[in-house]
Amino acid sequence: MGATHGAAYKQMPDVTLVGVCDVGPVEPTRLADNLGTRSFPSLEAMLQAGPQVVDICVPTPWHKECCLAAASAGCHVICEKPLARTLPDARAMIDACANAGVSLFPAHVLRFFPQYASAKAMIDDGAIGTPAAIRTFRGDGFPQGYEDWYADFQKSGGLVLDMIIHDFDWLRWCFGPVQRVFAKGLASRVHEHRDYALVTLRMRSGPICHVEGTWTHPGGFNATLEAVGDAGMIEFAGSATDPVHVRLRDGQGGQGGVPVPESPLAVDPYYAELRHFVDCLTAGATPIVTAEDGYRALEIALAALESIQTGRVIALTEGA
Amino acid sequence: MVTVGMMSFAHMHAASYAACLKGLPNARLAAVADDDEARGREMADRFGANYYASYEALLGSGVDAVVICTENARHRQMTLLAAAAGKHVLCEKPLATNVVDAMAMVAACKQAGVQLMTAFPCRFHPAMQRVKALVDEGKIGRILAIRGTNRGRNPGGWFIELEKSGGGAVMDHTVHVTDLIRWLTGAEVSEVYAEIGNLINHGAFEDVGFLTLQLDNGVFATLDSSWSRPKAYPFWGDVTLEVVGEAGVISMNMFAQNLVLYSDKAGCVQWANWGSNMDLGLVRAFVDAIESGTPVPITGEDGLKAVEVVAAAYRSADKVAPVQLPMPS
Repeated sequence: MGATHGAAYKQMPDVTLVGVCDVGPVEPTRLADNLGTRSFPSLEAMLQAGPQVVDICVPTPWHKECCLAAASAGCHVICEKPLARTLPDARAMIDACANAGVSLFPAHVLRFFPQYASAKAMIDDGAIGTPAAIRTFRGDGFPQGYEDWYADFQKSGGLVLDMIIHDFDWLRWCFGPVQRVFAKGLASRVHEHRDYALVTLRMRSGPICHVEGTWTHPGGFNATLEAVGDAGMIEFAGSATDPVHVRLRDGQGGQGGVPVPESPLAVDPYYAELRHFVDCLTAGATPIVTAEDGYRALEIALAALESIQTGRVIALTEGA
Repeated sequence: MVTVGMMSFAHMHAASYAACLKGLPNARLAAVADDDEARGREMADRFGANYYASYEALLGSGVDAVVICTENARHRQMTLLAAAAGKHVLCEKPLATNVVDAMAMVAACKQAGVQLMTAFPCRFHPAMQRVKALVDEGKIGRILAIRGTNRGRNPGGWFIELEKSGGGAVMDHTVHVTDLIRWLTGAEVSEVYAEIGNLINHGAFEDVGFLTLQLDNGVFATLDSSWSRPKAYPFWGDVTLEVVGEAGVISMNMFAQNLVLYSDKAGCVQWANWGSNMDLGLVRAFVDAIESGTPVPITGEDGLKAVEVVAAAYRSADKVAPVQLPMPS
């Protein structure tokens, strides 16, 4: 994700990339070269160079220490989701940034994907009437990461914390606070490089939501959405909407390789997200997604994990 | 040759079952009875059967077996009548609207020495048969989880009169996929959680039902049984399964085999399904079992197990907590 964010900043004429650093022992020199910036051996060293903003894309368990270091250096913080691995860590990050007088932006990029933003706008506009039954899907094979950290449940929290938190945030954005959560999942098998979860949310405003997440589906990434209300239904059919499919002859009798689908956009959603955060900093404006939103999304994800682990219905208090 | 009588055409599947019976070389649709005389006479005419003014008269007409397609709440009464007359029974789903009735039906048929089959046609759909074969071959290894849906439109009519239907979408649409999950896994549901709402029609019946099932072999599943297809949807609904195994995933969309009709006459888009007729497999299996005296492939107990899940779903929604099966009576 660091490379994606870096590439987005590189496109912004009013943003200068001061440098890149990483949590591992290897200095990210190649990434720095690709982005036309310099690398640093540590965050401390990079902070010495005086950036105004620090964008944190390291694995989740390092978010807090990076955020606190950046805040104490007077830097604004853009932080990948989930904000942290635990609620106290997330609260400490929010408090540290508030006390330091810097902004904290959680990178819930789904809000900047045009299909999800449009669906929300249509729902707000009454296109489906009163929302009733909402279903989302998000899935891929098991992700690769630094020292296989996704396979360490204590570090990553599995897909519930790392991936379908996107859907939790989008659902809360559209339908408000969650009243209760019930979930089943394979969180205890994350170390085997598999995870799958089925989460049911009851929203305080009435609708019932079902979130399906998988890190055990071969065949590439996909995400879908269906929102039913008392006057209609919106469907985002995921990869079925990809407008470009490339099929190359493999030179061996024309059987061809695997088709590669693409969904090109004029404005990359990651660029749109980071552009928005930079604009908010420049204008002192409130972002579309706040640190508090990031905290609440984390709360929903942790409730789902607690339900998976205890078999119980987990009640949330927001909006009670 | 098996001689069959149709007890009511209240459920819309009855006409399809009757047509299937007509197409079988070893079945004869001989008799029709219906509380709605006009409907009964019309169907008797259409399918070349004799109309009887009462169910007792139909049962006395020498049929070997009956197909019961009354409103849900009357399945028990009809099945007990048929069993007492020594007739084998194919009963529309859900087998009953509560566990007590379903148990009484199973017991009555057992005592009378007649077979009771529950109408779960989805098992006979070629897409489902393929999924079952792939799972049984071990293609995706051990099953870990299943995500199912059986959504539809609100059917209206007696389906939303609770004293006849026994419930809304959860009563109507839970049992098919529950049965498919039991069939695929060979396991029983041990716990049910349900979030239910009357959020679309705002009536006295639920139209949204999101169930979570825990099976006794460790597999977990969710099942969307909602009447959540809008009137503008191009098809009546769906049956889908996502079967997640240790070695792979099988996705099934049972009614994906469609032509798409963009109709200026209808002013909407419609799907015209060209997939196979699953009802024929169901009716044939019933007739073949009765003719050969072998056990029916889907029993009254299978129907009862699915009814238990429905009852647990309603209790769970009331308690806002998961409910263990079997429930204390």
